[in-house]
Amino acid sequence: MKKTLPVAFGMLVGCYMVAEYFIPHHAVRDLSAHVLEWGGVVAASAYVIGGINLVQVTWPKIRRREPDWGFKVVLLGSALVMALVGLPWRSLYGTHEPGYLDPLPGPDLAAQKNNKAIVFVDAPDDVVLTIGPITTSTKHMLASCSQRSPLPCVFVDPGELSLKAGRSVVGYDTFEKKVNLVAGDMVTLAANPGMRWGADGRFRTWIYDHVFAPCNATMFALLAFFVASAAFRAFRARNVEAALLLGSAIIVLLAQAPIGRWITTSLPHLSDWILDILSNGSRRAIIMGAAVGAIATGLRVILGIERSHLGGDS
Amino acid sequence: MTDRVHWSDRLQRFDRRWIFLIMGLAIVVPLYLPIGFPIKPRPMTKAAFNAVEELKPNDVVLVSMDLDPASTAELEPYYRAVILQLKRKNVKLAFTTLWYQAPPLVERWLRETVDVPIAPAGTPGYVGAPDRAYVRNVDYVYLGFREGKQNIMLGMGADLHHVFDGKTDDGTPLDSIPWMKTSRSLGDFKLMVLVSAGSPGAKEYVQYVQNRYNLRMVAVTTAVSTTDLAPYYQSGQLLGIVAGLSGSAEYEVLVGKPSIGVEGADVLNAGHGVVIVAIVLGNLAYFAGRRRKRKAA
Amino acid sequence: MTDVATIDIIGAWVGIFLTMCILSFLYGDNPFYKLGEHLFIGVSIGYIVVVQFRNNFYVKFDRDLTWWDLAPAALVAMMFVKFASKQLVWLGRFPLAFVIALYAGQSITGLVGSDLGDQIKTASRSLVVHKIDLQTAGANELSNVPGVSPAIATKLAAERKDHPFESLDDALTRPSLTDSERADLADERGVLVGTDARATAAGGRNQIDWFGVASQVLLLIALLTGLLYFYFSIAHKGAIGRVSRVGVWILMIGFGASFGYTVQGRIALAIARAQDVRGKFMSPHDAAQIHGEVAAIVSAVIIIAGIWLFGRHEKRHRAGATPPAEAS
Repeated sequence: MKKTLPVAFGMLVGCYMVAEYFIPHHAVRDLSAHVLEWGGVVAASAYVIGGINLVQVTWPKIRRREPDWGFKVVLLGSALVMALVGLPWRSLYGTHEPGYLDPLPGPDLAAQKNNKAIVFVDAPDDVVLTIGPITTSTKHMLASCSQRSPLPCVFVDPGELSLKAGRSVVGYDTFEKKVNLVAGDMVTLAANPGMRWGADGRFRTWIYDHVFAPCNATMFALLAFFVASAAFRAFRARNVEAALLLGSAIIVLLAQAPIGRWITTSLPHLSDWILDILSNGSRRAIIMGAAVGAIATGLRVILGIERSHLGGDS
Repeated sequence: MTDRVHWSDRLQRFDRRWIFLIMGLAIVVPLYLPIGFPIKPRPMTKAAFNAVEELKPNDVVLVSMDLDPASTAELEPYYRAVILQLKRKNVKLAFTTLWYQAPPLVERWLRETVDVPIAPAGTPGYVGAPDRAYVRNVDYVYLGFREGKQNIMLGMGADLHHVFDGKTDDGTPLDSIPWMKTSRSLGDFKLMVLVSAGSPGAKEYVQYVQNRYNLRMVAVTTAVSTTDLAPYYQSGQLLGIVAGLSGSAEYEVLVGKPSIGVEGADVLNAGHGVVIVAIVLGNLAYFAGRRRKRKAA
Repeated sequence: MTDVATIDIIGAWVGIFLTMCILSFLYGDNPFYKLGEHLFIGVSIGYIVVVQFRNNFYVKFDRDLTWWDLAPAALVAMMFVKFASKQLVWLGRFPLAFVIALYAGQSITGLVGSDLGDQIKTASRSLVVHKIDLQTAGANELSNVPGVSPAIATKLAAERKDHPFESLDDALTRPSLTDSERADLADERGVLVGTDARATAAGGRNQIDWFGVASQVLLLIALLTGLLYFYFSIAHKGAIGRVSRVGVWILMIGFGASFGYTVQGRIALAIARAQDVRGKFMSPHDAAQIHGEVAAIVSAVIIIAGIWLFGRHEKRHRAGATPPAEAS
């Protein structure tokens, strides 16, 4: 029963997924949209369980002071920090408008004569502003445009204008507004975008950009060195097959780099021909064979013949 | 009398850390002393470029950014070039990702390439049409990340709004954006641009939704996946493939803005040279050693 | 342009230091590498848990919940029940069965169309390959002619409208082409695989690309021999064995091409790290404030010194631990 029921459930789901392909009725389409959504939710839960499992495996090692337990403290500590800074804190402290527009009374006659409007800016130096087609920052603006205000400013064409104020880095609020200006109008854009907490917040983005991303990239970059070492120590043309493999690899390697074309213009053609004809032919055989295998395995799972993914009988 | 170690034995026992050092130098030195061989785009890359060039203003394009920070080497140059090409065509863009590692990276790239012009008028070294700053939720949307691999692909193929709960990543209702209101499934997009680092990615899109919904797709992929995807290009299931760093460099040349891709491709000359020399030397040492042992025996 | 905030400069240096820590593994396993590795795993786990929670659970609560949402809630509860009760661990089989069967059903319908149907259709195409006619081919087809970029294709299309091509030589030396474009096209001339083999300016008379035909035949042979190699239900002996061997050779050439691309991919990863340290992925203004190369050198010095000190400490520790009898 403990295995039979899940197998039966799997059969039902699998048969439905095959049948729904052939039934264009909207009710089936609606149900499929929900079923596919459930698949995503279950897959996401698996990652959360993986995280919990890591803590379950690592904590006893720290408690027992096993070798390298200090590094395990680093592991758990960094996981905790990254999880905490990513929680949706905004839903606790709420949001407030990071800026506002303050129109100044009366037209500026000089600007009106030149068929321009004026936007004054009251924001810290590091705020990045997009005023219509102009992207600038406070410190790079004109010192003054009008006697009506000492604030930095910019002349703009009248009409509908989109205004945006933010910081150059991710993790801060952004102020965005559209305004309609006629010639001579003056408006002050006051903005001081605050730092965000949470999934799109400053801290989390900082850790992602400066810890996660470099480590992730460098872990894979190690492979470049190991490939060179493996090429020297392991790739031997011991027989005809290995010689063909290495020969084709050398041709493709040379052709992929710009130097290949410099050696001879035929090299890129030869490499493309190897890819288009020999590689594609063999790869097509593999794709078709793998497809037949996947279909056969899929049928075995759906029909309940394959049950190893559900574990033992206990 | 001491036994002299044969050169083949000495070569085969070479400390691999010297190879690491040589490889490191082969990567770093050309960055400071570039060689600068010209880059000529290949047919697959040209086909991907042409597929995007056929777009008309206000066409709606889906860009699926399925990558992680490790794959930016090969994919970012293409991404920047294709976004420039798409923006100067004035098409509407919908971004999404199926990789959990991608969201902060996608957010940063959107700010750096879509929210601001990549090549405004007067950009030195660029002769193509200038692009402009796109406005979020007007010219482009970021739908966000969903876990589920091909479930999400199939879900998008059937009802894209349902997959993303009717909202963009920042909570804006999709129905409030006119061109997203009418783009309810993958079939409503004129073209799909797949920035794919692995699985789930271009291969899954081809396998699960391309045939079912008759979709037009171009893909950039890491070089590792090129031979897996090439049969799909040959069969027309993919309109074009941009393969790895060399393909991205070719795409930059086609778009008219050579940048980090072209610089990186230049370094490949030395890197590939080291690997080829390693293979040749390793085999020379092996065969010389084998011959010596046969003679001795 | 705004200046880079101090915290971001520190962040860039932290990133470069961690890069060098992980690269130190090339010398050998050491505490710096372990630090980088454990920090990376910890941050990854913290990141993954939150991103999955936010994008796949939390967003669902922003919309009105319906009775449909009970099903995934039940499945998720069954996954977590093992933490509450050992007796109910078997309930975790339901979500597992659900996901596996979901993917199995999708494979059956998806792969039949794409991996079997479309690939068989492609393999069944005519073996006759015609030369690309520069007079009539569209832009996409023209781009398949060796040396013809999309820009050249556009020019050729415009040229033939005014004045049809008389020959290949005429087409590839039209005045609207620049000197460098004409030089590129001249480079690609050739009767085997070059422009003369692949293209014609015949204007309607279909000419056969014989090398293309031979290639298509070889493509079909590659497919059939490859399929035969993977068919294990008959013994690979005699004629079958010899044909299967040809399949192996073609497979090996294909794997060699794969290896070539794989090497390119791996080296590109290392190139990107070097470019990132140099600040090539940011604006020159920001890179000038971060001084990435200086950070890399300082990090390398710290790590090398640290590894040397650690090695000395380990040696002393081992020497101290050696029993007196063995020491003499």
